[in-house]
Amino acid sequence: MVNDLLKLAGSDAGKMVIGLVGVLLFVVVNALLLTWAERKIAGHMQRRIGPKEVGPFGLIQPIADALKLLGKEILTPAKVDKPLYYLAPTLIFVPVLVSFIVIPFDASLQVADINVGILVILAFSSITILSILMAGWGSENKYSLIGAIRSVAQNIAYEIPMLLALLPVVMLANSLSLREIVEKQQGLWFVVIQPLAFIIYFIAGVAETNRTPFDLPEAESELVAGYHTEYSGMRFALFFLAEYTNIFIVSAIAATFFLGGYQGPVLPGIVWFLLKSYLLVFVIIWLRWTYPRVRFDQLLNFAWKGLIPLAFLNLLITGGLLKI
Amino acid sequence: MVNGLIEEIKARVMGAEPVEVSYTEKGYHCALETSPDKLSGVVGFFDEKRFYLECLLCTDYTDYLELVYLFNTHLAPCRVKVALKIDPEHPVAPSIAAQYASAYWYEREIHEFYGVLFTGHPNMAYLFLHNGIDHYPMRKTKVPVPSEDQARLDSFKPGEEEDTFFINLGPQHPSTHGVLRVVLKMDGEYIERAEPVLGYLHRMHEKMAENRTYQQFLPNTGRMDYLGAMSFNLGYVLAVERLCAIPVPDRAKFVRIIATELNRICSHLLWVGAYLADLGALTPFLFVFDDREQILDVLEGVAGSRLTYCYFRFGGLYNDVDDEFIAGTRAFVKRMWSRFSLYEKLVTGNVIFINRTRGIGTIAKEQARKYGVSGPVLRSAGIACDLRKIESYSAYDGLEFDIPVGGHGDVLDTYKIRIAEMENSLRIIEQALAKLPGGPFMAEKVPKKLKPPRGDVYQVVETPRGELGIYIVSDESDGPFRMKWRVPSFSNLMIFPELAQGVLLADAVAILGSLDLVIPEIDR
Repeated sequence: MVNDLLKLAGSDAGKMVIGLVGVLLFVVVNALLLTWAERKIAGHMQRRIGPKEVGPFGLIQPIADALKLLGKEILTPAKVDKPLYYLAPTLIFVPVLVSFIVIPFDASLQVADINVGILVILAFSSITILSILMAGWGSENKYSLIGAIRSVAQNIAYEIPMLLALLPVVMLANSLSLREIVEKQQGLWFVVIQPLAFIIYFIAGVAETNRTPFDLPEAESELVAGYHTEYSGMRFALFFLAEYTNIFIVSAIAATFFLGGYQGPVLPGIVWFLLKSYLLVFVIIWLRWTYPRVRFDQLLNFAWKGLIPLAFLNLLITGGLLKI
Repeated sequence: MVNGLIEEIKARVMGAEPVEVSYTEKGYHCALETSPDKLSGVVGFFDEKRFYLECLLCTDYTDYLELVYLFNTHLAPCRVKVALKIDPEHPVAPSIAAQYASAYWYEREIHEFYGVLFTGHPNMAYLFLHNGIDHYPMRKTKVPVPSEDQARLDSFKPGEEEDTFFINLGPQHPSTHGVLRVVLKMDGEYIERAEPVLGYLHRMHEKMAENRTYQQFLPNTGRMDYLGAMSFNLGYVLAVERLCAIPVPDRAKFVRIIATELNRICSHLLWVGAYLADLGALTPFLFVFDDREQILDVLEGVAGSRLTYCYFRFGGLYNDVDDEFIAGTRAFVKRMWSRFSLYEKLVTGNVIFINRTRGIGTIAKEQARKYGVSGPVLRSAGIACDLRKIESYSAYDGLEFDIPVGGHGDVLDTYKIRIAEMENSLRIIEQALAKLPGGPFMAEKVPKKLKPPRGDVYQVVETPRGELGIYIVSDESDGPFRMKWRVPSFSNLMIFPELAQGVLLADAVAILGSLDLVIPEIDR
């Protein structure tokens, strides 16, 4: 019996199942932790102390919040386009889960090492836009619709510099596999060779996660809550979970591509990986509580006239130098 | 200025008989009566002379309705009261909305409150009230609303068209800070037309005043502009003191200035926080609340309340200030001086903030005059009009301070002006504390029941948002016969539809925020 189970776990399908369960667990724990961290960090930046009542340092607060959201009545506004409205919060999780499959947490801790890893992540992350558009369109709400339209324009604009910033690293590592890329950074992190690509990627990443200063799709003071205005209870919580998981993914990819992933002395690889990722997560949170929001045309101009030409130039120079 | 003007009116405007009146008694310099057919000539004259329409109001004297047009200039005060008597049976008057954009809303207000029909006005729909009034509320006798007027008042109905759609910014919306509704006709992200809809917080303070004694109305003043309650308090108290000729001891004058300036800083701080929140930065909000808290503690110690103050009394104060107040104020001033560099670093130097606010919502001088805007919004257009200096009241004339003005008239200018005004307020407080005399804080022998002589007065004060004017008519009873509040946010909001035309939704929010609106004050 036990042997059978071990055998099953050892098989490819079994590994996949264990991996998926692990990923799901990580997604939930990570999101809960990040909501706590966001509130705590924001609190200290704003001369407050943040949550402190539930559990030590308020650590149990996210669980209390989750329970509250679970306990809420699931409201469906009368006029919504039901299939789209129901599907959107679920669909937003597909890219999130798929991305985790290819991210190497440690030298041996990776659900699947696909040899086109980064392509999988970039391709699936486009689905996020689709679900936001579905949420915005299906809600039959003008604020939601404007939010969704903004989101599409913004994501398309920022996916290009994101891709262009990752390409030089792919050229340097000569591989699309994320583990290969980490292995190539044994001696020298790519951020040293490619500082500009790192900055461009990070800015585009913040824009991809719809966070301040690029939080136009959910700009509170203009669009109330943007595309998720009509969502409440657990459906709202799903969007929320996806947002925090996306923050982690963007940081994790940055850590993998530019900061040497799980590479590091003394400490085990996974600790290094999480340390680097959460450091970048902290920077993203820090940005949100410091900057105002940019305007829509400024946002697009910044991408098309600033980041994309710069990223192209960087790519060209890298390519030229590699050829020599 | 006044004498020359009277001569000129006599020469230029046929049949007008201007009389000079005592400014200390009345609050205006010159009065003149006109008739409906001569009105446009009179208004044309003031328009040519670069006067702005300060206020337009109506009083029901039962035998006749009197429309009062108050004209003034920005830099040298020369307030002219133009009165127009009309028949209460068939109240009709020519509209001056074509000459003065600010009359557009005032005329609508008078129409729904008094039933005066303004011929030539483009849109006589409801401004404050909402469908279903059966009597004109401000008339002294019960006058039913005829059915044709009912239809006219109900005429605001935005309809959808192809390629455009409507967005309701409000009445419940994070960026309107209260229950203001703006109907936006959108073309994608661009605004084609903006139409503010008022009245969600309308409480009819002006009617309430007619049913109360002068003392009973005092608490109402703090409930109109809840962020600048001290200024509204001060304006009302000064108006009644002018009406009844009550002297005020020096100590009270200085304490009034300290309290009002503390309240002004408080209001501007809150604006900075709320405005940055409008632009998406939430952290400054908490920082300003920290500073604001210090002021609230100090004021609570003497006034008893933290927001809707009712601290001033006719002839003085409710309570004398103690050492704790003075020490607390000194401590706050010292702390506040060191805080500006922090805001400078966090906000003023921020490149995103500058890009969001520079060059949007630009107001030209002429535009500001036509709409009668006031306060920091007016000064951003480069007009150095601050009533504390121009029409000094209380003891402001003995204190030294600057009037910060802008050069571009854009939203960034209004921000810089408000920051500079806080610095100047601190200077005023420091001087007032140094000069604070001893003596009584209340005038002797102020009667319990005020029975002012028959007549009207006008009193202006500079509130954090701009010019507040209070017009009181007395009929020798112990309560006002008519009280009109000319509130700054009302005039400042009037310019919004023009500023919002053709801008992005995000800019419209930034412009709306820069006007620093307080909704209960607009709606009264």
